[in-house]
Amino acid sequence: MSSLPLTLPAPTQCPMPNAHYPCFVMTATILAPSTQLPPSSHEFAPVIHRLEAGGAMLPDTPENLMQIIGIYKAYAVPMDFYWRDLLYIAERVFLNPFPFFKYFLPKEYLDLHNHYAGDDADLRIWRGEATAHPELLAFMEKGETFKMPKLLHHLWHDRINMEFAEACMRAMLWHRGMGGNFDPYLDTDEYKANADRAIKAYFKGNPVMLGLYQMFPEMFIEQVRQLSYYSNLGLFWEVMAPVFFEMSDRYDAGDIKSVPEAMNFLVNAIFAMAGRPIYHHVHIRGEVYEIIPKSCGFMWLYEAALPYVEAVFYRTAPFRGTKSYNAQAKQVPDNQKDFHYGILYADVFPVGTAGIPPTLLMQDMLHFLPKYLVDYYHQHCRGEDDMLIQLGISFQRSMYVVTSAVIQALRTALLYPLDDPNPRHLQANRAFFETQIDRFKRPEARLRDVQSQNYR
Amino acid sequence: MADIVDIAVSAGSFQTLVTAVQAAGLVDTLKSPGPFTVFAPNDDAFAKLPPGTIHTLVQNIPQLARILTYHVVPGRLMAADIAKLNCLTSVEGSEIRIDTSHGFEVKNATVIAPDIEADNGVIHVIDTVILMG
Amino acid sequence: MLSILIWLPIFAAAVIGFWPGTISSISTRLASLTVAGLVIMWNLFILLKFDISNPGMQLQEYLPWNETLGLSYKLGVDGLSVLMLLLNSFLTWIAIYSSSKQTERPRLFYSLVLLVSGGVAGAFLTENLLLFFLFYELELIPFYLLISIWGGEKRAYAGIKFLLYTAVSGALILAAFFGMVWFTGSTNFNYDALPTQTLSTTLQIILLFGIVLGFGIKIPLVPFHTWLPDAYVEASAPIAILLGGVLAKLGAYGLLRFGMGMFPQAWSILAPSLATWGAISAIYGAVTAIAQKDIKRMVAYSSIGHMGYILLAAAASTPLAIVGAVSQMFSHGIILAILFHLIGVVETKVGTRELDKLNGLMSPVRGLPLTSALLVLGGMASAGIPGMIGFVSEFIVFQGSFSAFPIPTLLCVVASGLTAVYFVILLNRTCFGRLDNKLAYYPKVLWSEKIPALILAAVIFFLGVQPTWLVRWCEPTATGMVAAIPLLE
Repeated sequence: MSSLPLTLPAPTQCPMPNAHYPCFVMTATILAPSTQLPPSSHEFAPVIHRLEAGGAMLPDTPENLMQIIGIYKAYAVPMDFYWRDLLYIAERVFLNPFPFFKYFLPKEYLDLHNHYAGDDADLRIWRGEATAHPELLAFMEKGETFKMPKLLHHLWHDRINMEFAEACMRAMLWHRGMGGNFDPYLDTDEYKANADRAIKAYFKGNPVMLGLYQMFPEMFIEQVRQLSYYSNLGLFWEVMAPVFFEMSDRYDAGDIKSVPEAMNFLVNAIFAMAGRPIYHHVHIRGEVYEIIPKSCGFMWLYEAALPYVEAVFYRTAPFRGTKSYNAQAKQVPDNQKDFHYGILYADVFPVGTAGIPPTLLMQDMLHFLPKYLVDYYHQHCRGEDDMLIQLGISFQRSMYVVTSAVIQALRTALLYPLDDPNPRHLQANRAFFETQIDRFKRPEARLRDVQSQNYR
Repeated sequence: MADIVDIAVSAGSFQTLVTAVQAAGLVDTLKSPGPFTVFAPNDDAFAKLPPGTIHTLVQNIPQLARILTYHVVPGRLMAADIAKLNCLTSVEGSEIRIDTSHGFEVKNATVIAPDIEADNGVIHVIDTVILMG
Repeated sequence: MLSILIWLPIFAAAVIGFWPGTISSISTRLASLTVAGLVIMWNLFILLKFDISNPGMQLQEYLPWNETLGLSYKLGVDGLSVLMLLLNSFLTWIAIYSSSKQTERPRLFYSLVLLVSGGVAGAFLTENLLLFFLFYELELIPFYLLISIWGGEKRAYAGIKFLLYTAVSGALILAAFFGMVWFTGSTNFNYDALPTQTLSTTLQIILLFGIVLGFGIKIPLVPFHTWLPDAYVEASAPIAILLGGVLAKLGAYGLLRFGMGMFPQAWSILAPSLATWGAISAIYGAVTAIAQKDIKRMVAYSSIGHMGYILLAAAASTPLAIVGAVSQMFSHGIILAILFHLIGVVETKVGTRELDKLNGLMSPVRGLPLTSALLVLGGMASAGIPGMIGFVSEFIVFQGSFSAFPIPTLLCVVASGLTAVYFVILLNRTCFGRLDNKLAYYPKVLWSEKIPALILAAVIFFLGVQPTWLVRWCEPTATGMVAAIPLLE
């Protein structure tokens, strides 16, 4: 029914109440369902009722709102770099066998106009400018240390951690088959023919690479598929960055006053952007080679957003170097669709202390936190020392809100309005919500933890 | 009789749909002999979509065409014919779920005026824009 | 000159005990720390004045006190006691540093600690049996108060048990001392005035038995050890450091000085049984430690095990073995101090000592990484990993005892291996693994809590890498004492 694959719920028990934050099932206020239906008997009934009332999976408190908006803003600044660099790599760097400088974003791409911000936007989501965000530019100048030549910043790793973006891309590439028409298209003859043309044009006059291509055509085509996913992710994030910036600006102006309001902004943005085309155009020596033309009709919602949420929020892959898994003991699921290593399931404590992709993102976000969030973190846990973990948990909360927005958007698109008078329709809505929430029943899911304010 | 496009234009409550079809360049297709079964969302249906949705779609023709062709099923299927099936395949390629147990429901939309016959097909008016997935 | 080591702490104890209550606990702690620091300085000064090549008593002081009783104020230091004095003053300083800045009733606490420190120094320094007994008994009430007032949940029980056992130990020792003086017909209690060789062998054995039993309760030796786990566990970290690091050494010192030193013939007769007893004590301590679920209790039993090596070495009575015994006394004190201090920190921050509940403390950002790392180091030192002081002392003990009693030595080597077992259990559960997200909101470890452990770790490494600095003080005395012991056939 929906593009998010449905998985069988894993058998779990209600978690034991503990000293720091109570088991949410025993929370005092269970929201009465605002519909005509009787209360749900689902394990996460309060969350279901909240969704049916138009809310998010995250409880609506001012503290939660402050955390998520602050993190959205901190996330959007590096995201501004990510999407630009992803497009740069997909479109210009292309099949360069020694892409040593792929993270050195040229001015042309820093000045590339975001289609959803600035005066000449297709649809102006953010009131700010279309070129790279000034905080991003300031950080690229100085980094955490001081002004150095770019190469030194790069080697010292005092830069935006682009490796995180590539890890997200790789998650999407590795999982593939998550719905939409983009992925099946990558295996068609038409795609291969387009890719072939582009590869031959790129390596024109390079007998070594062309010879390698003759011997191993599939390898090159697979590289092009990877680059198509670069483009996919870049176009996806090009849209999300202005959305987050605008949310932060609205919060600062006092226009967003609750978590459902923030979520609704996201829902509207998802719909507004749903039809944005997803393509892959390569620029080789001044000419444009359309490997995936716009005429294929790939849409942002189905071909970029939903696969991204599935691959990065839910599935991802176990992070190497933090834990060892015994495959014979089935500690890693056999089926890819059972993978549960995304941000919604992440254990931020160990993750926050190793150099794996989520930590890289947290390090990036650390540089752009708004002041109110820095002050907030100073007052809790170990203050300055464990800010990475604290912001990681805020990030987890914010991604639960994004996921809630996706769920509500899917409900709007494929099911019935929340105030539909027909009880059968409402029941269908409820069944949909329950199936979505079933994915969070497993013990690793953090849905239980984010219900409490003490989870830091 | 008139063809599908003419009926839509003359009905008066399909202005958004007609504009979209024209923008997507599907007018000729829908004027061809077909036959087609069209689930036509009326203007109220389009108004239910969050703001900006149409704006973006209209700027991107292939994507708009995709949404529109999802509302078209090849063949001339009257309500009675559809009632015997529980699933149709649209021109776009994705499936459309049918539920006729309590009223005539097409995915999450209700058919408010079925069986409007045209030269080259049938129009069923629906109250919500249906989307793939 | 030696008197300063005794009377400076006691005088400071009196001052601190009676000064105005308005002075904050932090200032009181600072004052005690300063006094303890001065004592260490003086101790180091004495160490420099100590003549390494001289096996006999040095830097002696003499004041006649009560000639009719035979009590005289006679002090002296030799290779056996000089290291113990340094251990005493050093661990006093560490214990005061390790104590919480918000100790309740700080004046009483710190004055008792300093009193105890002075008393123990007196016991190590004295050359008169009765004076030794007086200083020995001086420890009793202060320690009872220190355990019972500032201890854990079962502190009253632990305190009373400690009091009873130590009182019995004192009674036995006093009886033996009286026996020594009466039967030899000596006029005073001075060490060098007791020709115990003149007594019949049977009498010597009986008196030695009394000495061994009395000090055996103190060391402790299995089966007289049952006061130790409760006392160590219920005492707060600084007091546990003093109990294990200093008071237990008093027992071992007494055994060496009065047992081996004054009854050489009886000693060589009893030696085989003593060696076996030491081995049994070591194995028992190690095996019981493996079964524990409370980490402090585990370390307490480990302490029992490690003291068994000292008895083995004392029984073997070769020069190398005695050097080993003294080194083991020092090394055990230092290692026990670091372990108890760190376990105290863990308990304060995490709130529990249960092996089943502790997990993942090495986690860098939210855990206690430096504390855990030093705990690993302490565990390794206790297990006798080369490069650290524990290895040095254990190796000398085994090397020195093997020629005399091979089987008990091998049993002790096994016990040393078992040490690694329970420390791996402790470290594996406590330091490694995953932090429990729901509970892991521990406060930061402050620098003042890290510094004692860092200093002790530095000493452990330094003496492990340069053991000469540990053993050179006691070699001549050891040789001298052993010379009087007749060889077994």
